[in-house]
Order: sequence, then C-alpha cells, then structure tokens
Amino acid sequence: MIKLSNVSKVYRPKTIALKNISLHIKPGEFVSIVGQSGSGKTTLAKLLFAEEGATKGKIVIGDWDISSIRQGDIPILRKQIGVVFQDFKLLPRKTVRENVAFALEVAGERGSRIKEIVPQVLKIVGLEDKTARYPRQLSGGEQQRVSIARALVHRPKIIVADEPTGNLDTIHSHEILQLLRKINEFGTTVVLVTHDRDIVNSLKKRVITIEDGEIISDVEHGKYVLS
Amino acid sequence: MSLLLSTYRIIKFSIQNFFRNFWLSFITITIFILTLITVNAILIMNVMADAALTSVEERVEVSVYFTPEASEDLVKSVQGYLLGLGQVRDVEFITSEESLEVFKKRHESNPVILASLDEIAGNPFGHALIVAARSPEDFDFILESVQTPEFSPFIKETDKTDHEMIISNIQMLSSRVKLGGVAIATFFTLVAILIIFNTIRVAIYVHRDEIGIMKLVGANNWFIRGPFLLESLFYGLLATAVIVAILFLSLGALDPWIASYFGDIDVSVREYFIDNAVVIFGGQLVALSLLSLLTTLFAMRRYLRV
Repeated sequence: MIKLSNVSKVYRPKTIALKNISLHIKPGEFVSIVGQSGSGKTTLAKLLFAEEGATKGKIVIGDWDISSIRQGDIPILRKQIGVVFQDFKLLPRKTVRENVAFALEVAGERGSRIKEIVPQVLKIVGLEDKTARYPRQLSGGEQQRVSIARALVHRPKIIVADEPTGNLDTIHSHEILQLLRKINEFGTTVVLVTHDRDIVNSLKKRVITIEDGEIISDVEHGKYVLS
Repeated sequence: MSLLLSTYRIIKFSIQNFFRNFWLSFITITIFILTLITVNAILIMNVMADAALTSVEERVEVSVYFTPEASEDLVKSVQGYLLGLGQVRDVEFITSEESLEVFKKRHESNPVILASLDEIAGNPFGHALIVAARSPEDFDFILESVQTPEFSPFIKETDKTDHEMIISNIQMLSSRVKLGGVAIATFFTLVAILIIFNTIRVAIYVHRDEIGIMKLVGANNWFIRGPFLLESLFYGLLATAVIVAILFLSLGALDPWIASYFGDIDVSVREYFIDNAVVIFGGQLVALSLLSLLTTLFAMRRYLRV
C-alpha cells in the first residue's frame, strides 16, 4: 500500500529532515509514527500526500510512484488519501454539513451524491445531529470529528492523521482514537503521526519511531519508547 | 468531473469572491470605467474633429477676383476651364454687380465705407469665381492652373489663406486632444493593472484557508484558479456594461447640441457609436478582459501556490 525506499528530504540550505527512510505499510494497517518535535515525522506525513516532495528515494502509494508526481496529478492522489490535522482546518463560515460537502463540491461531485454521502459520513463520526452548527459552536473533539468526516468523504484507502489529538484533552483524544480505529476496522489504512505516549500505548498497534530524521525502531505491537 | 458542474461551481465561487471583497471590486471597476471614459472621450473627440474638418472642408472655397476690365466672357471661359479640372467640385460665377451688393450688405452698418463707394462713382468690383475643390490640398494646384499668360493679367487676387489656417488648427487641436487622451488612458491603464493585481492578491489572502482546504481535499488547480480569473473578467464585463449605459444616456442628451453646433453637417456621435458598437465595445471588453486576465495570472503566479 505505502512503500518508501531510501527516502531523504533536505530543506535548503542543508537542513536534513529525513535520512534514507525505508518502510512498508500494508493495506488495512494502523501505524503510528512517533517522534519528538523536529524529528521529521510530520515531514514524512507530508511526503505521503505530496505536500512535500522527496529530495531522494522512491515513494509508492498503491501502485503509483509519487516520487516525482506531476503537479496536475496531486489532486488525484489527494482524493485517495484523507488528511487530518491538529488544527482541524475547518472553514469558520461554513456549517458542519457545508464543511464536509465542500470537499465533494470542489472535487466536482454531483449535488445529489453530496446529499447522499455527507449524512452518511457525519453519522460515522457521530455528528448527525449537529450538521447545521458552525465550527465555533463545537468542542475541539467535535471539530476534529468534522475534519475526519471531511477526510472520509472521498472514501480514501489511506487516512493520514498528523497530531489529530494535539489540541484535545484526554477524553476527546480517546474519542478521536476510537473513531480512527473504527475507520481502520472498515479496511482503511491509518497512518497516525503523534507524540502522545498514552495514545500510542493504548493502541497496541505497529509503532515506527523516528529520531533526527531516521527510523530508530519499527515494532509490530509497539509502545512509545522515547523518553 | 462534470465540466458543466465544475463551471457552475467556479462561477458560484467567483461571485462569492466578488461580493466578499465588494469595495475592492468596486474600486477596480471604477478605475476601469475611468479608463474607458477616457478612451471613449478620445473617440468622441475624433468623430467631432472629423465632422468639423468635413464641415470646414465643404465650406472652404478659393475665391478668384478679377479686375473690372475682365469681361464676362473671359471669366466664364475661366469658369469652364476650371470645371474641366478633376480637382474642382464646383465653380460659382459672381457678377461684379453681385459682388457690389454683397459688399454693400456686409458693410451696411458702416456709412463711411458706403460713402467712399459713392465717391468712386461706379462699381469698383470685377467679376469673381468661387471655386470649391474636392480636397483642400488641391487649392494650390487650382490657383496655379489659372495663372496662365492668358488669364493672369485679369486676376486681381485670390483668397484661401484663412481656411488653411482653420483646417490646420482643427487638425492640430485634434491631434493634441488625442495625444492627451492617450496619455490619460495609459495612466488609468497602469493604475488599473496595479489595482487588479492588488485586488487579486487580497482575494487570495482572504481565501487562503479555503484555498488550502481545496488543495487538501483534491481540487484541481484550475478549480482553485478559476474563480479568481472569472472574478477579474467580471470587472471588465461590468465596467463595459456601465460605460455603454453612461455613453448612450449622455450621448442621447448631447447629440442634439452637437448636431446644432455643426449646423448643416450631418453629425451624430450617438449613431456613430451605434453603428460601430460591436467593434468599439467588443474591442474594449476584449482589451479589458485580456488586461485583467494577464494581471490576475501574474498575481496568482506570485501569490497562489497550488
């Protein structure tokens, strides 16, 4: 599903964010990428949805080598990868329903299809009764659920969640985690980028640890090993 | 992706952009309108200058005054000779009596001149020919052609100087107005470019979150760029529509005044604009649209990273 071979990322003039990263994530896996701030884990996530390009190495998503993806092909990739961020990235002047529908509108989906899909994904994330609310009228956990719903509308094969619980308290963090597990159980590959020890330890899934741009451990049922 | 649906949504987003930055849009359109007013003012001046030239050219004639000794037969033979020239449109024969009457009438309020006429006791005027040329440039040729050994001893004087001056004054004024107009239009065009550039820059800044999310969820580049390009086209379209309304309303009121000013010359600026509406307004719309599109593309290249 996701295969990185000797991937490096260097920011000019000579900041090395990632060094010779090689990893393979199988379809349907739930993988946590952990590391301290500045370790390169977010850069790694950005490479997966082509927000950044690798300086060296090969990145394959499915059967698609995106190492030197053309600018015009990025939208096609983004429809296959749902992305969730720490700061939710919701449009404040749009309601919950409109925020989710927006992702389909800009992708050219028909109105009737949007009306069909949006309630379904909002039900999955448990916001079916808050569709008319604006982001400011929701808790942090609920806003993140809207963001996850938006990431789900294209029915992606992969969800990349970059610190999705970073702005949330413990209760809401676990709610989001449960939601990601549920999505994973439906067969979606989940790549969770985090530095939250409790979250990682409670998952009991594969953990890849990055330090100074290099993978220092990759354990199948791992734990948060950094101090 | 359905092209129709995408087009509809691009139009929807561009209208939203337009109204969300209403005052910037308003200022941009105002500058466009000022530019177009200048351009159309030049056109109006051009039409009026052409009409003025036609009017003067039709009125200008060269007068050939003969000595009292020149017989009617001789003057009529000159008339016949002149009518045979291709450059001559018409030749009017004025008898010495008619010349005297015209002179008396012109100076009827001046008893001194009339008294001096009585003292001369007789008609001091000879016959005259009023020659209308097809073009003012032909006058020199016409005058030279009557200066033959046969006719010149009987020609007292010729007169054409004033008309030349009027024509050259109109031409000079017209070219100066055009030059000034072009300078003003260029100035407004440069201001318009800067304003569109800034409007699009601000629009991109205002919509930066929306653009980021569009990119994130897989909107293609043209779906993101489209609304900005379309928004810039609205400016040209609206400015042209406003200028059409302003012109036809103002020309409706101005036309009778212009027509009366030119008297018997058939001049209608409004008709000129109606007859050439497609070329004039179509051209202005295309020019504004190209200007907007190129400036917007440049602003997007600089500020919109997609």
